[in-house]
Amino acid sequence: MSLPERQTDIGPPHYEKFLPPVIKKNYGKWAHHEVLSGGTMVHVAESGDKLYTVRVASPRILSTDTIREICEMAEKYSDGYLRFTTRNNVEFLLSDQSKMAPLLAELKDKKYSVGGIGPRISNIVHTQGWVHCHSACTDASGIVKSVMDELHDYFTTKTLPNKVRLAVACCVNMCGAVHCSDIAVVAIHRKVPVIDHETVGKMCEIPTTVSSCPTSAIRPNPKTKSITINEEKCMYCGNCFTVCPPIEIHNPQQDGVAIVVGGKVGSLRTDPKFSKLAIPYIENEPPRWPKVVAAIKNILDVYAANAKKHERVGEWIERVGWEDFFKLTGIPFTFQHIDDFTFMRDTLRNSAAFKY
Amino acid sequence: MGGKYKTPMLDELEKGPWPSFVTEIKKAAKRTEMADDELGQVEKSYVTKRGYWKHGGIVGVLGYGGGVIGRYSSLPNEFPGIAHFHTVRLNQPSGFFYTAEALKMIMDIWDKYGSGLTNMHGSTGDLVLLGTTTENLEVLFAEYSSRGWDLGGSGSAMRTPSCCVGQARCEWACIDTMAICNEVTQYYQDQLHRPSFPYKFKIKVAGCACDCVAAIARADLSIIGTWKDNIRIDQAEVKKYADGGMNIQAEIVEMCPTACMSYDGKTLKVNDAQCSRCMHCIAKMTKALKQGKVKGASILVGSKAPIVVGSLLSWVVVPFMELEAPFDNLKDLADKMIEWWDDNAKPRERIGELIEVKGMRPFLEAIEMPPVPQQVKYPRKDPFFFWSESDFN
Amino acid sequence: MEQTEIQEKIFAYMQQMKGKKKLKEKDIIKKIMEESGDDKDTVKKALRAMIDVGKVMYSYGGGSSSVEIPSEEYLKEKGLI
Ligand code: HEM
Ligand code: HEM
Ligand code: SF4
Ligand code: SF4
Ligand code: SF4
Ligand code: SF4
Repeated sequence: MSLPERQTDIGPPHYEKFLPPVIKKNYGKWAHHEVLSGGTMVHVAESGDKLYTVRVASPRILSTDTIREICEMAEKYSDGYLRFTTRNNVEFLLSDQSKMAPLLAELKDKKYSVGGIGPRISNIVHTQGWVHCHSACTDASGIVKSVMDELHDYFTTKTLPNKVRLAVACCVNMCGAVHCSDIAVVAIHRKVPVIDHETVGKMCEIPTTVSSCPTSAIRPNPKTKSITINEEKCMYCGNCFTVCPPIEIHNPQQDGVAIVVGGKVGSLRTDPKFSKLAIPYIENEPPRWPKVVAAIKNILDVYAANAKKHERVGEWIERVGWEDFFKLTGIPFTFQHIDDFTFMRDTLRNSAAFKY
Repeated sequence: MGGKYKTPMLDELEKGPWPSFVTEIKKAAKRTEMADDELGQVEKSYVTKRGYWKHGGIVGVLGYGGGVIGRYSSLPNEFPGIAHFHTVRLNQPSGFFYTAEALKMIMDIWDKYGSGLTNMHGSTGDLVLLGTTTENLEVLFAEYSSRGWDLGGSGSAMRTPSCCVGQARCEWACIDTMAICNEVTQYYQDQLHRPSFPYKFKIKVAGCACDCVAAIARADLSIIGTWKDNIRIDQAEVKKYADGGMNIQAEIVEMCPTACMSYDGKTLKVNDAQCSRCMHCIAKMTKALKQGKVKGASILVGSKAPIVVGSLLSWVVVPFMELEAPFDNLKDLADKMIEWWDDNAKPRERIGELIEVKGMRPFLEAIEMPPVPQQVKYPRKDPFFFWSESDFN
Repeated sequence: MEQTEIQEKIFAYMQQMKGKKKLKEKDIIKKIMEESGDDKDTVKKALRAMIDVGKVMYSYGGGSSSVEIPSEEYLKEKGLI
């Protein structure tokens, strides 16, 4: 079979090819928009033209079958135009309002979830997990599915004080950047890696492995032509495993997830914030991680009941104080909550004013 | 095909209203052994609570050093279909816009050579094709590139840039995010496909401080739209918001971080000299308030996830820069940053980490930026600081 | 220096370092610039030409990219031998 001629360094196709005419015409000239429902909105251009958006949930892992089905709906209702959002939702872009109701009807019929717009929960940013990554100490997709089943109404209809952005990272590499989310799950290890000395000597550059450790826990061991790990210094980051695979960091019975809260990326009202530790450890409980789901639901409920309108989770916590966050949520405060790594100085309190 | 495995654990994840990834894998498993074996292996992971993937291997297309992530099952005898299960990253169009026609073409080719599974999209932004074999890589690349689709980045290289929807559909976009994204992607094709950097380098473009692509948290070079002149107010529309039940005093005026707004029940005023352009009021009253007309971007540098010594958010280095096509000023700035980083960084050191090691001064000198107060939250606290010869002139 | 000469030097250096150190593109270019006295772009061009035909290849491991001499298996796969 002869191959078509390959081309290199052409880059992605120009986006203009994929823009609906109403966008091409009004590019850069949008006047305002209105959220019509949990999953629909209309953008109005200076010219008066209107663009209707219907946002639909996706599990991010999509089969070609489902993508074709989505394409067919786009052809039927939005002249074939569609896009994806940064949080992996699908958006149909309609210039004809009369097609919206039939599209929504077909989506409902086919059991798609329409939502994610406005002060609600959008799709959960996440990465590969057990589905595709060697580094995973939990399964991202399973947690996402379990959590979103529970919070489904907050995607489609129910509102919150402001947007709540959720994320799941399947190991501390945090490919999905969960470190600035309102509520996020990050999978962690809790045990010092186990070294396969024979393979380490063969497969790994010892100096690179030694320098990979952020806490200087690794020393070369000339006798075994391998390395030793100082157990007191190791904080289980897994970086040595990344650069040298025979250093096994996984420990299925001890691995699990932590929950962090209060991050945001926008600069609205208050500066962007990192998420901070709320719950240091919950065991992995596939297939539905009930304790993780309950913990997130609890934090969300307390936020919804206590935050002022427009306050993000982190803004609410900073207003009431972390003392109150732990009191209101009933989450126990532990040694793990007190930073003893890079940010200790910034995080310890040095004021005589605080709450009980 | 399909149905080789019983999957009682995963079947639980087909229940409930949220769309199920298990259902997606099962759909593909009807057609490909790869997806079926993937299903079997993931079920096993659910039972034993551990993954079964080897560290990535060395695979790719001739001439390129990225765009394909090697992935091999550690149980190839048990799950032969996924002995190879590599990822192909296709560079997405700016703003993730598609036509059904283009997307179906991509799927047709993928069905011929892959597992039938995708990620729409990977978190760098690429359209991720999940699961193919080494021998199919060159064919896939020829099929896609001959139709105008190229691979994205991976490894120690420029990563696929991405952006928010911007001026295509958002009234708050101060810059043409999609054009910028497309332009820098084209400009850095060589660095994107041939890993020659100390480590990864990510560029993300957001049209305003809402930052819908999380540029400030996950890009080495974060470009965020802003404006310089006064907020434009339509008092008639303000009245409509008030009539519609908005508590303007509580929700807008009192939540303004710089306390620069006032409202007497009729007229909403902004003391623009004090406004920090945080976007709160504009986002909440989009019909009444508009940004000024002098628009451009703030340039921030250095964010990364916590591996290894803690996460960083990007720092402001250039408070304001006008960005008009073909964005030569931006390319020039990015070139200078990358050159400084490339010359000074150790392997696997991100630019933010390098700035922490070397200090902000050499970096600012390298990009020819003077020190300005917008770059800091507050000045240094201790009396220990460097003087260089140039400071004495 | 002629491109072919530079390429010979590159290959010799890579053979010498094989199994000792993972070489990044930059390591190779620096070393050969010293040896041949050519500028960065010239050496880079020579190296890239070798990569384009599969004489040497990009590799990835331990979290970062490097350049290696390909295995026979790889060359077969790409139909180069
Ligand atoms: C109500 C006013 C807002 C509108 C109309 C709006 C507009 C948009 C648009 C058009 C997208 C899709 C962008 C893309 O995929 O490239 C988006 C996504 C997003 N926006 Fe906004 N933005 C608003 C306010 C905000 C605010 C205040 C924040 C955070 C501080 C925010 C954070 C995000 C995030 C995280 C996403 C990804 C969500 C998703 O794809 O489902 N947005 N927004
Ligand atoms: C030392 C640190 C890291 C290592 C070793 C690492 C490793 C990996 C691996 C092995 C994959 C492939 C998963 C697969 O097989 O599909 C992956 C995917 C990815 N990584 Fe990382 N990663 C690291 C840090 C990061 C960071 C800090 C970011 C972003 C800020 C990031 C962004 C991504 C993205 C966007 C993907 C695509 C996966 C997806 O979207 O699901 N990675 N990473
Ligand atoms: S976060 Fe960790 S486990 Fe998840 S995709 Fe990234 S490297 Fe893999
Ligand atoms: S897991 Fe992290 S801290 Fe522990 S030895 Fe490895 S690199 Fe060091
Ligand atoms: S970052 Fe700003 S300009 Fe871009 S889509 Fe979000 S709100 Fe609009
Ligand atoms: S943009 Fe922010 S700082 Fe400026 S007036 Fe509005 S709320 Fe205040």
